[in-house]
Amino acid sequence: MITLNDYLLVSGLLFALGFAGVLLRRNIIIIFMGLELMLNAANLSLVAFSRFGIVNGLPNYNGQMLVFFIITVAAAEVAVGLAIIVALYRARQTTNVEDLNTLKF
Amino acid sequence: MNLNPIVLDLAVLALGLVLLLLEAFNEEKEKPFFGWLSIGGIAIVFVLSFFASQQIFVGSSQLAQFYKADALAIFYKRLALGTTLLVLIMALEFRPILSSYLPAARKNAGLGEFFALPVFTCLGLMWMASAADFVMIFVSLELVTISFYVLVSYMRRSSASLEAGVKYLILGALSTGFFVYGITWIFGITGQTNLLAISDALRVLAPASHTAALFGLGLLLIGLGFKIAAAPFQLWVPDVYQGAPTPITALLSVGSKAAGFVVLWRVIEPFLQTPAFAPKLQLILVGLAVLSLIYGNIAALPQSNMKRLLAYSSIAHAGYLLVAIASWKSGQAPVTFSFYLAGYFLMTLLAFLVLIVVNQSTGGDDIANFNGLGQRSPVLALGMTISMLSLAGVPFTVGFLGKFFIFFDAVKTGQWLLVGVGIVTVAAGFYYYLKVLRAMYWNVAKNPSPIVVSPLTRATIGVLIALIFVLGVYPAPVLEMLK
Repeated sequence: MITLNDYLLVSGLLFALGFAGVLLRRNIIIIFMGLELMLNAANLSLVAFSRFGIVNGLPNYNGQMLVFFIITVAAAEVAVGLAIIVALYRARQTTNVEDLNTLKF
Repeated sequence: MNLNPIVLDLAVLALGLVLLLLEAFNEEKEKPFFGWLSIGGIAIVFVLSFFASQQIFVGSSQLAQFYKADALAIFYKRLALGTTLLVLIMALEFRPILSSYLPAARKNAGLGEFFALPVFTCLGLMWMASAADFVMIFVSLELVTISFYVLVSYMRRSSASLEAGVKYLILGALSTGFFVYGITWIFGITGQTNLLAISDALRVLAPASHTAALFGLGLLLIGLGFKIAAAPFQLWVPDVYQGAPTPITALLSVGSKAAGFVVLWRVIEPFLQTPAFAPKLQLILVGLAVLSLIYGNIAALPQSNMKRLLAYSSIAHAGYLLVAIASWKSGQAPVTFSFYLAGYFLMTLLAFLVLIVVNQSTGGDDIANFNGLGQRSPVLALGMTISMLSLAGVPFTVGFLGKFFIFFDAVKTGQWLLVGVGIVTVAAGFYYYLKVLRAMYWNVAKNPSPIVVSPLTRATIGVLIALIFVLGVYPAPVLEMLK
């Protein structure tokens, strides 16, 4: 029997993996993938909480509604984010964060 | 006249859509037209906001669960509208610099969205002020953040702007990740997304779930810490402020911070009212406030770029605002931090407005570009002087009164650590704010020709200076709005 804790563990692992990707990788596209992974970790645990939080014999649908909003917002974020990364690549021919060093005092 | 406050939001939404469509179908139209249209539209909604009534949604209406229209919400709607209005005026002034950094086929092409997107940002800020449910908070926060991604990296030929955009994108999305994960845990523990229902659920929460709720709250605070630019989540602030187009920097530093604080207050209020969480949360708030005060004020000392200086000053002001929240036991926290934000709005936007005009005529954002401004344009120099004195907290300005209210509350609730750190850092603040005054009046300009200031900008500077002094000695009108 799979319990709520198993789902939360997987979601926590996904979140940690995404965060590690953001901290450790140097390619902006990979960092961006890490960020999306973090959002999906939240989606997974929301659905799990919703499925296991039974109210009047039904799952708590508030959480699943929030998941739809998160998916939509993540898609908008990717659309804008990739456009910015492409614009950066055109201007600088790089997607490595270590080359982003114009702004220093 | 009893206007339903939601009309204000819908009017701003309609304005944004109209601007986008007009821009798409009238390519040949002169671009300043869109600037004037957006300024006019926002000004009308700003005036309408004084006819909005508060008690429309009380009771059991379905919308009331998502949408709050109390005095605080309407105050922050006004602040968002006022900020956007001034930012659009700055954008008109900033147009020549902006178009030189756009890969445009025709002159003035591609500027329309620069006037439409701040309107959508304003809409997000207004929804945030009214949000009473985590779904609303999340969606409005993202509307603001995603609009900012585009606006910060708007100057596609400037590698500084693109770099700032990418940094803001990565750190903004990271903060969203933390925020959403925090919402998840709060939802998991309480089974609710509505803040009022969460408040009830927390009161009867089993002690076994307290750790999980605190974990969720911690994640939420990390996410919101990025938005309000509090240390230690301030990493993005200096670079993004410096690289972004200056009007957008102004919108970030005032609009984003103001809405961030009202959301922060709404989110932590249920926790502060639960005795099991209040002491721990208090400790975190004090820690954030002390770090922001020290980091912001110390790091600002050696700055030579005006936008970076204002960025560190923005971190320091987040510290003062957090002092107000940490002194919540006085029962006055929303009033004191809202008044401070109203003052911060006036003085910071005044500084940015002067900076844009100076940047345009001298070609740079450094403090050295202000050399001899006292001779070149007495109006601009006066505006900058008043703004810097008010940011530093000289008596008879709104900056002083805001700090006075905050420290009064801190003393009343016995936050001696915060009072001590606050007073030392205010003294440090005098050093770097007065550095700008020295450049303007004592240093000699390389090119002493006078700077021409457009009538609209001149009038705006006059109004802002007057308001800084009026609210500095007579704060009653703003305090009345917050009742």
